[in-house]
Amino acid sequence: MSMNTLPITELRSLLSAVSSHGRQHLVEVEADLKQTTDLLSEAIEKLGASFLAVHEAVMKQQEAITTLMLEHHMQNSELETLDAYKQQIGEEVNAAVTGLQFQDMTSQLITRTIRRINGLRDLLEELSLHGKDIAPEQEHAEIAKFLGEMNFSLTRQSNELSGGLRKQVSQENMQTGDIELF
Amino acid sequence: MSKTILAVDDSGSLRQMVAFSLTTAGYKVVQAVDGVDGLNKAKDSVVDLVLTDQNMPNMDGLTLIQNLRGLSTYAKVPILMLTTESSDEMKAKGKAAGANGWLVKPFDPKRLIDVVHKVIGE
Repeated sequence: MSMNTLPITELRSLLSAVSSHGRQHLVEVEADLKQTTDLLSEAIEKLGASFLAVHEAVMKQQEAITTLMLEHHMQNSELETLDAYKQQIGEEVNAAVTGLQFQDMTSQLITRTIRRINGLRDLLEELSLHGKDIAPEQEHAEIAKFLGEMNFSLTRQSNELSGGLRKQVSQENMQTGDIELF
Repeated sequence: MSKTILAVDDSGSLRQMVAFSLTTAGYKVVQAVDGVDGLNKAKDSVVDLVLTDQNMPNMDGLTLIQNLRGLSTYAKVPILMLTTESSDEMKAKGKAAGANGWLVKPFDPKRLIDVVHKVIGE
């Protein structure tokens, strides 16, 4: 059996369904990402507050130890042990400060992802709009031209989206970054 | 008298860690949430060093630096970028805008303090 025309109604229906389902899923993805951002933000706020409180308590403890050291004669080995603990605390504090910066980078990445999702939703909307314009009575060549225009439009929008989403975070781990003085 | 540093970053947790590191080292820290806030606070009271992020809402770090360098009071004040950006292209833009240095996040507190000491002249 030969077909003189494309199954336009089915094609229109398919484009519309892809657009509708795709956008629906992207709404869910965006909501999940926003929730993740909120949870991360709250977690880091609490971690930060706890960290500062622990640090303040440790500083007071060290002051108390220093006072005790002045009042009581201590062996050199005991002083060295206390000094080693102090150094270890300092190193761990530095490591914690570095680690507590993760939220800044992850939230930037999530923001970029959300912008891409919004762009993708617009692309799907475009698909739906084109789908509505396809009429069953159109000739095969005209439909092919129409699909070509739709493809061009989607490619242009996709390129614009990628171009507007320069990657600002290239870090892949929590290793501290380079420093360059000009 | 302790020197004052203006820390500009839209991330609260980052500002908190910068402020913690610098106050522990004896500096006074003024915090700003974006470039506009940073510029206003810089105008309110001249600081000894500006440490700014790049990607922020309302006004980014490069624009902030350009605005600060346009003020006679900030012609010689050291300005450091502290950002996730690490490309040579962005560093060149920072240098052209008037930044004195580029620090890539995440920062190590000890190294940050060493750099601040160096550029602030201590």
